[in-house]
Amino acid sequence: MSFGSSHYTPAMQSLIDEFGKLPGIGPKSAQRIAFHLLKLPAEDVGRLAQSITHAKATVRFCERCFNIAADVLCPICADDRRDSTMICVVEESRDIVAIERTGEFKGRYHVLLGAMNPLEGIGPEQLKIRELVARLGPEAVEEVILCTNPNTEGEVTAMYLARMLSPLGLRVTRIASGLPVGGDLEYADELTLGRALEGRRTLET
Amino acid sequence: MSELYRDVGVVLRTYKLREADRIVVLHTEANGKVRAVAKGVRKTKSKFGARLEPMSHVRVLLYRGRELDIVSQAESVEPLTPMLSSLDRATLGMAAVEAVDQLSIEGEPDPRLYKMLVGVLRSIAEQPSALTIPAFYWKLLAAAGLSPVLDACVHCGESGTEVSLVAFDTNEGGTVCRACRSGVGISQGAITVMEEILGGRLREALSREESPLTHEVAALATRSLEHHVERRLRAVAMFEVHGT
Repeated sequence: MSFGSSHYTPAMQSLIDEFGKLPGIGPKSAQRIAFHLLKLPAEDVGRLAQSITHAKATVRFCERCFNIAADVLCPICADDRRDSTMICVVEESRDIVAIERTGEFKGRYHVLLGAMNPLEGIGPEQLKIRELVARLGPEAVEEVILCTNPNTEGEVTAMYLARMLSPLGLRVTRIASGLPVGGDLEYADELTLGRALEGRRTLET
Repeated sequence: MSELYRDVGVVLRTYKLREADRIVVLHTEANGKVRAVAKGVRKTKSKFGARLEPMSHVRVLLYRGRELDIVSQAESVEPLTPMLSSLDRATLGMAAVEAVDQLSIEGEPDPRLYKMLVGVLRSIAEQPSALTIPAFYWKLLAAAGLSPVLDACVHCGESGTEVSLVAFDTNEGGTVCRACRSGVGISQGAITVMEEILGGRLREALSREESPLTHEVAALATRSLEHHVERRLRAVAMFEVHGT
């Protein structure tokens, strides 16, 4: 491919190259974004540049749960109204946002920053598992909910954690698997449908 | 060559691709290793669901692409449920697919490798044993024509009851006598177990309880296969550290 560098000024080329490094952005999209920015008023571009540097400078990991935070603790860990006896273990801080949107969970979280993947060489040491264990006593945790992704890596991680945490005498639960609301039964795969049957419940009448 | 083709295979590993897709690497019966894109598979409402997770045994309909093929449909041949029913089964299954991933080659059909993989996964699902994976590794090496020499010294060729075979040399692929000693030490018990595995008495080997002996055979199997593929096997290393 020839996105001839000679056709742009060095400043423009470097902007396009930087956008091109972002996830899901190819050379064409990078070029489109760069040209769009040039059309914007200077203050809009300034605000964008400032948001990027500001976010990068101030956002960090919560010292307790490894959620992204603006301070030492993330807003959830800093909130006294949250139930500290329940910890929901997730892979990424994005997952917290998804769970928070349900409004069903009032406990605290712990982000592992990944999942075990033996084929990639990611083991328990690369995840924030030691930090999770260290929280259990001081925070008087009674239940750990394993909310890792329902794929092979997430399942392996959950099973590993269950094996490690169960002897500690607390309740270890795994988020349920089932059919997505709005989907068709006939398209469900066997594993999901099997689990959905296994986890069936009595209807309130 | 038609654009669409059907095959059966086992998913060896997956890579995340873009927002919600995955690249799925399969070892298929008729096409050898196949790398294909499963579109939207990471979305909760994906039609593929859990069918394209590593260790899944699936019947697939694929589009031939320029570099990567595209998975059009996937249907389970055997349920994945038992493989994810315990940590031990999952780690053993991973160790099996990792080894096959190293041996399988794109565009080179290897139906025997496919059959062996399906067999070992079935065996793990039904009755995992301390020697399931070591036996699988030895069988893979034997299938590649690298069956270890166990009844003579690979160096001097000395055999018979009076020679004591005291070590195993992975470079040479067999046992060595006291005079030619190289490689790592091996016990007579381990030689017996390996003879069981490679000599058609697999059932006896698999019925053995976990012991220092099974660990010895396991370590040798891993080392030999690593020597053959010229890479470290990660799943098995993790299993040895965090094993039961």
